Amino acid sequence: MFFGLFRKKKKTEGSRKEAKDRLDSITGGRRYSVPVREVIPQDILQNSGKDMIHQIKTYVADKYKVKEENVKVQLEEHNGYVVIITNVVFH
Amino acid sequence: MAKVYVVTSGKGGVGKTTITANIGCALANKGAKVCLIDADIGLKNLDIALGLENRVVHTILDVANGKVTASEALVRHKQIKGLYLLAASQIATKEMLSPEDMKKMVAELYPKFDYIIVDSPAGIERGFRNAIAAAEKALIVTTPELPAITDADRVIGLLENSGMQEANIRLVINRFKIQMVKRGDMLTREDIQGNLAIDLIGIIPDSDEVIVATNKGVPVILNGNGEGIGKVFENIALRMQGEPIPVEHDILEHGSKGFLEFLKRIFRRN
Repeated sequence: MFFGLFRKKKKTEGSRKEAKDRLDSITGGRRYSVPVREVIPQDILQNSGKDMIHQIKTYVADKYKVKEENVKVQLEEHNGYVVIITNVVFH
Repeated sequence: MAKVYVVTSGKGGVGKTTITANIGCALANKGAKVCLIDADIGLKNLDIALGLENRVVHTILDVANGKVTASEALVRHKQIKGLYLLAASQIATKEMLSPEDMKKMVAELYPKFDYIIVDSPAGIERGFRNAIAAAEKALIVTTPELPAITDADRVIGLLENSGMQEANIRLVINRFKIQMVKRGDMLTREDIQGNLAIDLIGIIPDSDEVIVATNKGVPVILNGNGEGIGKVFENIALRMQGEPIPVEHDILEHGSKGFLEFLKRIFRRN
């Protein structure tokens, strides 16, 4: 027991790394914003939901180098705002 | 003309009100004329943090309803001449105020102050929309924990969608535990800032001083002797005024307690 006091403690990895990995997976790493008009031209933004979805699919597919079929877009209305929900299947 | 800030976070309990009160005090202590607005209707706290709960006569709702003007509803701080509070109402809901009401109030106060700081409620619903309605700049408060950071990320997105420039959104990391970071048990400043990708304006180390100060109804900046955690709030206020003080100073000033300080604390007389 006496010698146990002087035994070198095993270094255990802290929980920071796990927290960082989880944070990266939740927020997707570095966040960046894209102006809506950069993705969807003004005329489409005002008129057609279908064209809007197509436009987003094209943009996201190009951005993440995936097929357009792998991009799923949903438009929903919440409190007077249009919310665009986009899911990308990478594998 | 005032600079209009909103202090927000998404997640509750991260220290928005304490930070609003102390930054307000720090700015006013430096000679600025400061108005703090409590937008947390129904769950008001800013008056308590400032020790002004017994002085409030009119609230933000009285202003919205046209009973009094915003200037008439203001309460001046007891010790700091340049610090004013527009208190929230306890017996009301956030739906009783609209973003337009907030814009009108701020427009009235705008020419009379150097800084207007709005304390936002938690969440991203009506109360949040009211709080950000008139703000030009934002301080996002987070603690180094995942739920707070992910909520902050969401709020930053909402602020940008509302038209706020990224350069006007700055991050405050609250309750930072230096020892835990050293042990590798807490996210570092770089981890958090890298993820949220906005400028950091201050790191507030975890401190018992804040609880003691809140118990007394005196903002921590007035409770100390210009040292400790109060100094960190002063640094943030100076950065808001454009002083280039490195954020590392926040941790160094608070975290540099050596063996001498340890001995001092042991032998300190109450």
